[in-house]
Amino acid sequence: MPDVVLIALIAGVLAIDDRAGWQSLLGEPIFSALIIGALLGTVGPALTCGVVLQLAWLSIGAARGTRRPNTVVGGVVGAGATSLVLAQTGDPRESLVIASGVLMGLLAAEIAAAFARAGGELRERWLGNFRLPEMPPAAYLVASRNLAFTVVGAALFVGLVDFVATLALLPVATKLTRMLTVRLGADAATGAVWWLACVSAIGIASIARAFGTRVLVRYLVLGVAAVLVVGWLR
Amino acid sequence: MKLERRDLAKVLVRLLFVQATLHRKGMQNIGIMHAVDAAAPKLSPEPGAFLARHAEHFNTNPNAAPIVVGGVLRIEEERSATAPASVSRFKQAASSALAAMGDVLVVGGLKPLALTLAVVSAIYSSFTGLVAIFVCYNAALLAGRYWGLSFGYARGWGVVDAFTGPRIQHVVMMARILAAFAGGILIGVMTRRAYAQGIVELTVIAVAITGAWFAMKRGYAPARLAIVLFPLVVVVAMLAK
Repeated sequence: MPDVVLIALIAGVLAIDDRAGWQSLLGEPIFSALIIGALLGTVGPALTCGVVLQLAWLSIGAARGTRRPNTVVGGVVGAGATSLVLAQTGDPRESLVIASGVLMGLLAAEIAAAFARAGGELRERWLGNFRLPEMPPAAYLVASRNLAFTVVGAALFVGLVDFVATLALLPVATKLTRMLTVRLGADAATGAVWWLACVSAIGIASIARAFGTRVLVRYLVLGVAAVLVVGWLR
Repeated sequence: MKLERRDLAKVLVRLLFVQATLHRKGMQNIGIMHAVDAAAPKLSPEPGAFLARHAEHFNTNPNAAPIVVGGVLRIEEERSATAPASVSRFKQAASSALAAMGDVLVVGGLKPLALTLAVVSAIYSSFTGLVAIFVCYNAALLAGRYWGLSFGYARGWGVVDAFTGPRIQHVVMMARILAAFAGGILIGVMTRRAYAQGIVELTVIAVAITGAWFAMKRGYAPARLAIVLFPLVVVVAMLAK
């Protein structure tokens, strides 16, 4: 339980960075998974989970056109569930646990986005009604203080929403991840690993779509060729 | 009174949280008011009225906001020589001109570049690479914002011309080109790894890429598609064995 609270706190802080701060990338699944993995001593599997989730959500930044899932909660819950299950059970089928964790991350991101939308309406009402006080000279200090409180409050609210969402979703996701890994047989486990490859392929498709324009496609091809040539030379 | 570097630093720190109060009605207006409030007592004998002038709707890319605010501070400083409506007109003109530039440069160039390189680093388990990418990205972002604020403050109205000129278009294009090249590297790395695993994995990935491509073209969210795909792939694998 203390692990879950700590992970939820991290999610809250990362959400502030991602949606209220300067978007330092810490809220992106690849970096949040690294933090969670380092915290729970499972850096490798957590990072793999983060990579797959990052690839699945690459289209949000580059290609656009999608209704944004809550990638902060998704990344933290996915990596958290993977790390917690591996730490608790020591399951040797690491890929299967990672695939289950990724699935939980994707689901958590969608649920948390709906939750955040509901919270967002409250925030909208609050911020939409913000007024500066009437302005005789003495009221400036009140206005200045109100502005500071509003900004700090709004940032904390963003963090609180994701903290609560993670606190609620992570235990469920961990339980479901453990259940999936126990129930799935060897054949299904192969399928889960294939699925991981499919999710990663979404990232490739996103990149190809975002940069497959008439002007940029040559640089995309140049990048692929560079890797193939370097690989061939080695 | 002229603003000192320390005043600009205070404004910059507040601008880092300009997104915190983003809302539909006024968008970033509260965040902007909070940022300019750091310089209000120095720029105006009536800081309350100064703040009230900035309560109007404001929306731009958060990375471009420092440039606009820098320009606003300069215009406010020279306010006695300009018309009262000037600040409002400047904010409207600059915010819309810079919003598109900020979106394309950061969201369409720098961020995909950093994330793609981070994925490649993670695939090769290079933690040094991950940390280096994180540090470089944030250094570029923060330095860019500080430079933007100083540049805006130095130029005032001139920033609109500076950021709609060909030089900035060149920088934006360079970022997009680098991001496309990094994307190509990632595609190459993943293709090589899939090929090394075997022909079945390579086929599965090729089918998935094609499917995801068409799904995105038709407007489906790829991440949701992945969720639906999970039971399907598991069943196919069970039947195939």
